[in-house]
Amino acid sequence: MHIKHFAIAIIAYVSFWGVVYAAKDTYDSAILDNALSGGETTVFNYSRDAFAKPAANLPTKKLRDFTFGNKMFNTRWVTAPASVTSLDGLGPTFNRKSCAACHFKDGRGKPPSSPDEPMMSMLVRLSVPGNAADGGPLGHPVYGGQLNDRAVHGVPAEGMAQIFYEDIKGQYPDGTPYSLRKPNYKFIEMAYGPLGDDIMFSPRVAPALHGAGLLEAIPEDTIMAWADPNDADADGISGRPNMVWDPINNTKALGRFGWKANVSSLRLQDAGAAVGDMGVTTSVFPEQNCQNAQTECINAPHGGAPEMSDTQLDKMTFYVSTLAVPARRSIDDPQVLAGARAFEQARCIQCHKPKAMTGEHAVDALSNQLIQPFTDMLLHDMGEGLADHRPDYEATGTEWRTAPLWGIGLVKIVNKHTNFLHDGRARNIEEAILWHGGEAEASQEAFKAMNKEKRDALITFLNSL
Amino acid sequence: MKKTILTLAAGVSLALFSTVSHADTTPITQEVVVQNYAGLVYTSYNAAYQDGLKLQQAIDGFLANPNDDTLNGAKQAWLTSRNSYGQTEAFRFYEGPIDFADADGNEGPEGRLNAWPLDEAYIDYVQGNPNAGLVNNKGVKITKDSLSGENQANDEAEVSTGYHAIEFLLWGQDLNIDGPGNRPVSDYAKTANNERRRAYLKVVTELVVDDLKFLVDQWAPNQDNYAKTFVQDKDALSKIMTALATLSGFELASERMATALDSGDQEDEHSCFSDNTHNDFIYNAQGIMNVFFSAGLYEYLETKDDDLAEELEEQILETKKLIAALPHPIDREILSTPKGSEARQKMEMAVSSLQKEADLFKKAGDVLGIKVSINE
Repeated sequence: MHIKHFAIAIIAYVSFWGVVYAAKDTYDSAILDNALSGGETTVFNYSRDAFAKPAANLPTKKLRDFTFGNKMFNTRWVTAPASVTSLDGLGPTFNRKSCAACHFKDGRGKPPSSPDEPMMSMLVRLSVPGNAADGGPLGHPVYGGQLNDRAVHGVPAEGMAQIFYEDIKGQYPDGTPYSLRKPNYKFIEMAYGPLGDDIMFSPRVAPALHGAGLLEAIPEDTIMAWADPNDADADGISGRPNMVWDPINNTKALGRFGWKANVSSLRLQDAGAAVGDMGVTTSVFPEQNCQNAQTECINAPHGGAPEMSDTQLDKMTFYVSTLAVPARRSIDDPQVLAGARAFEQARCIQCHKPKAMTGEHAVDALSNQLIQPFTDMLLHDMGEGLADHRPDYEATGTEWRTAPLWGIGLVKIVNKHTNFLHDGRARNIEEAILWHGGEAEASQEAFKAMNKEKRDALITFLNSL
Repeated sequence: MKKTILTLAAGVSLALFSTVSHADTTPITQEVVVQNYAGLVYTSYNAAYQDGLKLQQAIDGFLANPNDDTLNGAKQAWLTSRNSYGQTEAFRFYEGPIDFADADGNEGPEGRLNAWPLDEAYIDYVQGNPNAGLVNNKGVKITKDSLSGENQANDEAEVSTGYHAIEFLLWGQDLNIDGPGNRPVSDYAKTANNERRRAYLKVVTELVVDDLKFLVDQWAPNQDNYAKTFVQDKDALSKIMTALATLSGFELASERMATALDSGDQEDEHSCFSDNTHNDFIYNAQGIMNVFFSAGLYEYLETKDDDLAEELEEQILETKKLIAALPHPIDREILSTPKGSEARQKMEMAVSSLQKEADLFKKAGDVLGIKVSINE
């Protein structure tokens, strides 16, 4: 492990920015000058498996739960009844047959490359105005809370979403042009007729999973202390927790996971994805994902009650919890240091909090770690451009949870693409920044106002995470 | 202390390791261990390559004249080829040529050679689905490039190439607990219907041979290749030992043994179509012994910590003994037995021994002042 001393970082930094900052001999950065993004869990792997490694401090004996969980994660569920009875119960309707199908290499999904291709690592959430009994979104009366674009033999798939992009041209103050692509959606082959005029939908790509357990281990107090719902400090940034329903403990809880922080724990997230995305029931969500109007779905055989056992769910959750965060690269590179400074100057760190201390977690390896997630886990109004206009518990139609940035530079290695944001519309990090609006508008403007060299440095910094 | 020399299995000749022998008065150095290791890797990959060529010959013979004898010959050649390849798995897990990842994420051939577990329906027909797989998907060309491109392209279970693809193509699904898969030889009769399957088997075998040749070339002595940089790499010993700790503690103990015990699913058996899983275990463990004993790692550790060297030696030999004693075929004799059975306990003891072994490799890293990690 190479933890460079801070003094070295300062010298490199000053030499790059020369006269501009030379007067300032101490630069009190909020960004840690070490590479250990995940504390002692950090792994030094920058290959296609960079997001797929177990926490480095996991005891050897615990690795068997990790590998069992990995097997569950990779398992392609089959239609019931099947010879392997412990792994049947796919669907009846579903999006993909395994977790790994969307979270390939535990990494990030992307939108299809043309409207004719099916979504491979992306889905569309559906709802209509109003709230469900638990306070969450009210599912569509016929299609439910999510469009299942696949189904087992003999059951109709619900339909298919197509994406058509329009080009939006823009220009930096220095005259450099850029273009963004704005997605528009069309729903075709809808098995039970059109979605209706009051439909609210939210397309989402599969997020990368590394470090998920560490995010779960950030104490609630820490996140609440970052919240500023009424913008009391008048910095233009509010930051609100999403208080959601936790059906395991039958209580309201702080939402942490999902693009709108609408799920409070990884066990719930995994069970929710199992039933919502694969049609696999658990003790947490024992009901098949079939709406009243979907007769074939209701009548299709199921794979037991529940289809995924508690042991299987527990080990899968252990696996997702202990996926390690890869270490930062090139932290002493002058351009990276300059980029870090630019990132702070543009006040990106107001929401993308560079560090946190985890509390006690059921998995010891995750407890009391100094981590660098670059998120505050809170909801922020991100403006009209990114809005899905689909409220989710306390999240409004323009709010999104600050996405963690650790590992962002390795997505191109792991998943061979650089599509970012909730629907993968940004084709690279630069476009993702340019889409930031609402509370992030000022930071986005600050980025645009930078010269090319500084913008490049900021992106190089992000790629070092 | 007595030096333990173990014979290398299946074609790996000790003769090449004359560098191991050193004057009795001169303590072995890290440089010598690394040199020896590079030689061992080369010899081991070369043995795997030679067996790969024999496999290719046998498969060519089978395709030229498909009958029960030639099919059996191909199966035997596959089984033999697994033994030499299994030993080379001790050279994985540090981004050497087998795993290699550069700044663009380009990978070495491991995933193409040995990906597992595989969804057999991605390759060919299975029970209940006569038109499944790439063999029956006429939209996909059967060439080295296309099959290589289809390998784990969108899903880790979608394996199109490698030893286990060949295994499935030779044996077929293992639907019978009393024996391996039993694919009929008629699947390869020279008819239009079988043309794609015949081509598929030929092409995936070529890919295996190509990849083994690549590995041999990367480790050949006195060439401008990976071996040349490796012997000068200051982290070489760290890599060597990380590979051993990872193969024992993660890949073998957890991924291949404990997970199969925990799930009880036949598909978690490493070589499920051929019922060869026990040999996979044996030759993986042999690969660890090759490095530890024949490359001089044991003696080097002995110079720093006598007791630890001996403890590690005993643990490695214990693992060998426990794995050799496993009843097989693993699916019938162990995995299908009830929880707590004697057979399961035997496999649990092997798992436990491998885990201890991995932790001892980490401890040895501390003693030698190098970083040894498990599956980073």
